[in-house]
Amino acid sequence: MVEVKKVGIISCSGEECAGGGISRLAARHVLESARPGRTVTICLPLFLAGGEEERYFARTFPTITIDGCDKRCAMRATEKLSGQVTQALTVSELLDSESALAAPFSQRQLNGEREKQIAKVSAALTEAVDEIIGKPAAKDLLTPTTPPAGIRLL
Amino acid sequence: MSKESVMLIPCSGIGKVHGLIGREAVFKVKGELRPQDTDLACLAEIVTQDAEVQERMNGRLTITVDGCPKMCAEKNVRLVGGEIFASLRVVDAFRTHRGAQAGSATELTSDGWQISDELADQIALKVDEARQGGKGNG
Repeated sequence: MVEVKKVGIISCSGEECAGGGISRLAARHVLESARPGRTVTICLPLFLAGGEEERYFARTFPTITIDGCDKRCAMRATEKLSGQVTQALTVSELLDSESALAAPFSQRQLNGEREKQIAKVSAALTEAVDEIIGKPAAKDLLTPTTPPAGIRLL
Repeated sequence: MSKESVMLIPCSGIGKVHGLIGREAVFKVKGELRPQDTDLACLAEIVTQDAEVQERMNGRLTITVDGCPKMCAEKNVRLVGGEIFASLRVVDAFRTHRGAQAGSATELTSDGWQISDELADQIALKVDEARQGGKGNG
């Protein structure tokens, strides 16, 4: 029997600053495109609103949190309500505070500069996943799901 | 008339398109439709339940927007003692768009943006009601 090990990713998805949107889109990129099949996620507020299965997330999967700002809400909430995190990343450290604390953005406002920021955070997140379960061989990389018409994967 | 601006809290669920629709609807209300009458708060911060966020929520009328039936935004706001004026559900916004292909949790299609924009209009009306001292449904 082959044990399929997956890494949990929890994004703050904060609504008050750009870092929250960057953390969310970087997490989605890793889940959907960079390491599909090797990563799972959960909505952070489910730790309080959900059941036991949701609360045990960080005890079930080695978990990486990605926070937009230095408040590190995703890390603090995960450690308080679910379990120890394996790695805690913040957009403000991976980029800079000014970028992280800029005004929140709608995805209608995505531009080249923002996409570069998301790509940088996504790369750090992918690296953190690989540190936990090892980098997949090229042949083992799953093909990302083909998006529906009109959808562009970041 | 309520002097305080109305807090808007979307669930921003990361697993399904519904979370993104609610998030974008709230951003449209704050950014375009009712910028002076609303404030945003990070739901993640509310989940931490620290004293600072509880104080910030105290006495402020709040509109929650939830993507799925787990109602994370509403439940978490209630847990910190927030006063919910209205609790909206993205799934209800889909009722007039049966069969719509709204996109994913990563990106919305034109259908998804339309649903999000309609939801934003509903949220804006609720903000007006809250500011005018309406009763709400929270």
